[in-house]
Amino acid sequence: MMLRTPVPKRARPIEPAPIIESPPTGSDHHRQLAIYEDPPSADPARREPSHEPLQQSEHMLCTYQCRQMVKADFLDALSNAEKQVQDYQSQLAELSDNFRKADEERKTFREKLSYAEQELAAAKGREQALHDQLLKEVNDSHERLKKELESSAKLQTKLENEQNLRKKAESTAASAEDKARELEAKLGHISQSIEKEKKQLNNELVHLKRDSKFSISKITVDLEKMEFRAQSSEKEVELLRKQQEDLQSKFSQCLHQKSELEKKLTSLSFEDDSPKESDILVKHLQEELRNYESEVREARKLKSAHENIELIKEKLLEEKSRRERAELQLPKLHEYEFKINELEDELSAWKLMIQDIPGVSCRDDIRLRISALQKEVIDNLKKLGDVNAHLKQMEVILDKTQLDKQKTETEAVLAKEKADRLEAEVKRMNVMLSAVSEERNVLKTAIEDFKSKNEQAGGNASSSIMQIQELGSSILEREPYIKELEGDLFAQKEINAHQRDEIKSLHDRLNSEARRVKSLERENDRLRSEIFLLESKIGHGDFSAANTKVLRMVNTLAVGNDAKQTIEALQSELQRTKEKLQALEEYKSQSGNSGKMVDSYMSGKVAQLKEQIATLEKREERYKTVFADRISVFRRACCELFGYKIVMDERQRPNGIPVTRFTLQSIYAMNDDEKLEFEYESGNTNIVENSYTSTSEISQQVDIFVRKMNSIPAFTANLTVESFNRRTLS
Amino acid sequence: MASKTAAKDIITLRGSAAIVSEFFGVVWYSILYNRAVYPEESFARVKKYGLPMLLTKDEGVKSFISNLNAQLSEWLEAGKLQRVVLVIMSMNTGEVLERWNFSIETDNEVVEKGVSREKSDKEIMREIQAIMRQIASSITYLPCLDEQCVFDVLAYTDTDVAVPFTWMESSDAKLIANPQMVKLHSFDTKIHKVNTLVSYKNDEEELDDEE
Repeated sequence: MMLRTPVPKRARPIEPAPIIESPPTGSDHHRQLAIYEDPPSADPARREPSHEPLQQSEHMLCTYQCRQMVKADFLDALSNAEKQVQDYQSQLAELSDNFRKADEERKTFREKLSYAEQELAAAKGREQALHDQLLKEVNDSHERLKKELESSAKLQTKLENEQNLRKKAESTAASAEDKARELEAKLGHISQSIEKEKKQLNNELVHLKRDSKFSISKITVDLEKMEFRAQSSEKEVELLRKQQEDLQSKFSQCLHQKSELEKKLTSLSFEDDSPKESDILVKHLQEELRNYESEVREARKLKSAHENIELIKEKLLEEKSRRERAELQLPKLHEYEFKINELEDELSAWKLMIQDIPGVSCRDDIRLRISALQKEVIDNLKKLGDVNAHLKQMEVILDKTQLDKQKTETEAVLAKEKADRLEAEVKRMNVMLSAVSEERNVLKTAIEDFKSKNEQAGGNASSSIMQIQELGSSILEREPYIKELEGDLFAQKEINAHQRDEIKSLHDRLNSEARRVKSLERENDRLRSEIFLLESKIGHGDFSAANTKVLRMVNTLAVGNDAKQTIEALQSELQRTKEKLQALEEYKSQSGNSGKMVDSYMSGKVAQLKEQIATLEKREERYKTVFADRISVFRRACCELFGYKIVMDERQRPNGIPVTRFTLQSIYAMNDDEKLEFEYESGNTNIVENSYTSTSEISQQVDIFVRKMNSIPAFTANLTVESFNRRTLS
Repeated sequence: MASKTAAKDIITLRGSAAIVSEFFGVVWYSILYNRAVYPEESFARVKKYGLPMLLTKDEGVKSFISNLNAQLSEWLEAGKLQRVVLVIMSMNTGEVLERWNFSIETDNEVVEKGVSREKSDKEIMREIQAIMRQIASSITYLPCLDEQCVFDVLAYTDTDVAVPFTWMESSDAKLIANPQMVKLHSFDTKIHKVNTLVSYKNDEEELDDEE
């Protein structure tokens, strides 16, 4: 305690006694009492070293007045001091009351502080427990996340595998679909062809019926003709009979005349001796008789020959008509045979196909089998669609799980951050607690000091009160923070519970998806086996007749030489048959003029010759058709090879000389007027002018190639190239 | 063709048809040579697509194939050609031994609207080279053709195509029963895509039948 140095009074001249100062109390430090003391005994306790020299110097004897004055002053000072003491006492009382109050408040604050400390400790414990729990949960969630990540990675690989399988299945299904479509188209085409053939067969049957009716009508007509001929022949026979009867009558008359003449002759021979004239007459008559007889014989022979000829003619006519009919029906027969062979081949092919198709025993089963196959294909397609839908759903679910996983990861990260923050806050709280505890200790020491110094002054109470208030305010400030922390912990708990629920649901979903994936795998295997079966059943690719047609170029490579040879052979055979026909005709005419072919040998030979004629004529017709085909093939080949359509025809010049004219039209011609005409005569070919060749371009080329270079092939080749270029450019 | 030569990377319908018909013009000879349909001495060596190719010297075959390719080019420009098949048959029995199937996918937008596409010529050449190499190496797995063979060409077109004078519609697609199939490379001009597949008679079945 600092003693305030009293203001030195003005020194009285006489002041022998040393001045003894009373210790300053309360607030009155202004005045200083000087008390006389005889012996200037130094009281070190009461003197201040600073005033000692002054007191010793002023150690003077004072008078009574001075003493009285000093006394009065002293008394005044005393009263003042007493007043001050009273004031101080009252103040002290007040202060003690205040101290008591402060003490009580301190106590309450202390209790509150202890309570707060306890709460802090509890909160700390709770925090620690929560922290531990949080750490555990975070670790658990980490582990679960890891497991989920692993499972999601596995699922992803499975998904990729499934996607690949799905793609493969889709591709195989698409190929199976294409094959099934192609097969359907083929089957449709086949069925259409079957129907067409049926229709064709029906039409042919109708035609055959018509033909048979026609032939029947023809035969009836022929019969009628034959009947008419028979009637006419009968009439002729009757006429001939009449003639014969006439001739017989004449012959009988002649015979009668002859007998009469013979009688006459005999009578004459008996009567007359000059027989010469009668002999001559007889001879004449005999000669005439003989002539008549020969004539009669000849007439008979002629008649028989005539009859035979008529018979032969009739037979010839019959044979001709039969031959014509047979020839008319021959090509049809060939066609029917060809069609029958084709149908038989198709039937055998169909039977083989039916045998190849399992579950099919007859034609009707094919449709059922096709419908069953179609249904199977449709079912498989549906299943494929379902599988695709499932796969897509799985993909969606996997995407969702991935998103959820990402969410949980982010939440776990957030929870981690929160946990870190909480830890930091807990640390901060710990630090604050330690600071608070330190402050508390300080407050304790301060309170103890205050207690110990309670009697001296009551000023420390206010500072302790301030400190206690500060502590209380800090505690109050921390309470909402603690509440916040508790709220955060509670929210974190809820989040963890929610995450746990989500993880559980995800686990369940994953299990269900795994089951679904397995079922899909099984379906995939089944579909693959079905697709393999279908593929093995269907075979390699074909075409659908609805969209596609197959064209084939006429392959003239192997045909050219063969065609030439066959043409030559046919031509030689034709020449031979023509010669044979001429010989037969001559033979016929000879046999007709002589009138000696009456016997059956001749009729048999005639029949043989007729047969030969028929066969030769058939062969001739066949050769003609084959030759016509070959010629058309040759003409087409020539057109393709040289680029010109060649038309050949025979004409006659005005002078009667026959000339072969060739008309050439290029396949690259822009219109039909672009034609070249050539005349071929005895090895010389000449170009004929027409409207096309008289154009400037063509006439130039004609001048150059034909007239100057004398090369028609060069001219035609050049024209071909020019027209080709013109056509391609256009 | 003009657009093809003017800008290398731009391909028109006509240019693409020319590329494809040029390819066919070479591939028929390659197959005929490699499968020994015609004797080796009837072929002459030329360079095509950066590879040594063999073209026949037989004028008949040459003219046949040139006429064939001319028609194929026409159909390609019209976008009507779906497939071309080279069939190798036994001369004696007429049995189909091999089918070289070239399926063609046409970009209909180009045919209808006349737009063009872009692709590097080098890349197309590379793709064709790969096919040629595969055809040359096909003798390693295709069965030997011991008997004399002939060939024929079938064209699968749209049904609305007019049949030319030297062609005829065939109902027989000349299929092989239970064939073995080998898929080869394909090439794409961005307008026409040509896929190659060879199917041949299963030699093992014959051996089993013989056994």
